[in-house]
Amino acid sequence: MSDPRRLLWPALLILAALPPFFVNDYVQYILNSILVYAVVAIGFNIVLGYAGQLAFANAAFFGVGAYTTAICMGRWHWPFLPALLSAALVTALVGLVVSLPALRLRAYYLAIVTLAFGELLRWGYIHADWLTLGSSGLPVPAASMFGISLASDRARYWLFLCLTALVLWGSANLLRSRFGRAVVAVRENESAAAAMGIAPALTKIGAFAWSGCVVGIAGAMFALLLGRINPESFDLSQLLLHFSLVMIGGLGSLVGSVAGAVVLTAAPELLRNVAGLEEIVFSLLLIGVLLFMPKGLAGLLSRVAVLREHLYLG
Amino acid sequence: MALLEIESVSVVFGGLAALTEVSLTAEAGTVSAVIGPNGAGKTTLFNAVSGYERPQEGVVRLDGRPVTGLPPHAISRLGLRRTFQNGGLFGEMTVLENVMVGADRATRSGIPGVLFGLKRHRREERRAVADSRAMLARVGIDRLAQARVRDLSFGQQRLVEITRALISRPRVLLLDEPAVGLSQAERDVLATTLRQLAAEGIAVLLVEHVIDLVMAISDRVLVLNFGRVLAEGTPDEVRANQAVLEAYLGSA
Repeated sequence: MSDPRRLLWPALLILAALPPFFVNDYVQYILNSILVYAVVAIGFNIVLGYAGQLAFANAAFFGVGAYTTAICMGRWHWPFLPALLSAALVTALVGLVVSLPALRLRAYYLAIVTLAFGELLRWGYIHADWLTLGSSGLPVPAASMFGISLASDRARYWLFLCLTALVLWGSANLLRSRFGRAVVAVRENESAAAAMGIAPALTKIGAFAWSGCVVGIAGAMFALLLGRINPESFDLSQLLLHFSLVMIGGLGSLVGSVAGAVVLTAAPELLRNVAGLEEIVFSLLLIGVLLFMPKGLAGLLSRVAVLREHLYLG
Repeated sequence: MALLEIESVSVVFGGLAALTEVSLTAEAGTVSAVIGPNGAGKTTLFNAVSGYERPQEGVVRLDGRPVTGLPPHAISRLGLRRTFQNGGLFGEMTVLENVMVGADRATRSGIPGVLFGLKRHRREERRAVADSRAMLARVGIDRLAQARVRDLSFGQQRLVEITRALISRPRVLLLDEPAVGLSQAERDVLATTLRQLAAEGIAVLLVEHVIDLVMAISDRVLVLNFGRVLAEGTPDEVRANQAVLEAYLGSA
């Protein structure tokens, strides 16, 4: 470890592991939610920010991940780990399916088709009672991993923290690889990317599958967090939240996504006492960022040179 | 057998003939130029060769292999690289990243290696960075490596695009108006670089309006007018051609 800056990430991780020792149950639950939404935002940002695709199937991906987990655990009594891997895999496949219209449709047309896809899936959750128990919701049994019970929010926090760190690290590595460069190249100029030997269609498919995989993992965390999932959790307001996370955090910035999750998950809790205030502040925040801070929180963070170099601000 | 053979290629846009039976061969180690008035079909010819337009008639062969009908990325992978007339760069990426995209077909690393930052993948990345920086130095713009492409001048962007095409060590290089926006000094560097590339065995094909540059570095010149071949030959032959003088050079 010749370079002390290499210790930045391990140090952050150790710091992030400490809260369960001194926060109360309520704060612990919020911290868990932050981690779930951090993973959601990372996954959505891959499609929206890096690949530049106006695809709004993210709440659908989230639901597929959560339902896959709930079905594997609640119906088939699988342990959490295989349920999580199934959620990641199934949602990656759904991402692949959603990428197919993206090969043909541009901008708003893609947005509409993917929105419709999300609503269609929600209709499916409601009406496939035999699998999902419809609108009454599907319970998710308490999980354990390697003999450690995950029944408490404290225990789940450490699991979620590991998953978030893995997703962040893996995604950052992928983005700095030739695959990540290809994704951004196709976003910037599809013809020129093809002239470099990049297959635009395959690259888009890959980005959607990867995004699906990540959001599927977030869905699995969400299922564990709530203990019962129902179709209403994956409606348009969920999608609006996801969109706000990415936009306020910063398009094309992984660390921005995490920052967006922190701000947008904590803020509603502070505003909870006044009815309706949550939505108003949310919308104002989104409009404000779009107008005055197009790079989001990541843009603010990147003004500090040290952070710009050593965090993945994009 | 020539490295690149264009054999009586015709392209029609909605009943309008953009190219009519154009033929051209480019040998390894030579520089060929396509000149002609605006709208003569020069860029369309490049598009037909690199897979962006599908010719209605004729065939394009790369090293004896027909590539007509293949998508652009497949033709690129066979060793043909091109630049674009109106900015084919990735504006939000840095100069170094742009050039690395050009080098990435040669980068060997699998998904596990990438995800977990394994040693071999990191070594490959370092090699790609070093190669890209070396190529930027060769074109004389290594000091721009970390600059965002969008912030560069037009001429600098041109040089980045050429560097990016070169990094993959293509066998055939198509340059669409590479000298536009370059200063005289930059043009001289460009001319020297292109001759060096040809000497290394690359077939260089360029579309260009800067006639001095074309005549100075080309082995063969093809003149297009209204989508047809008006003349073809060495720079001296073309310069002396009466039809060319009337249609193009005389007016310049």
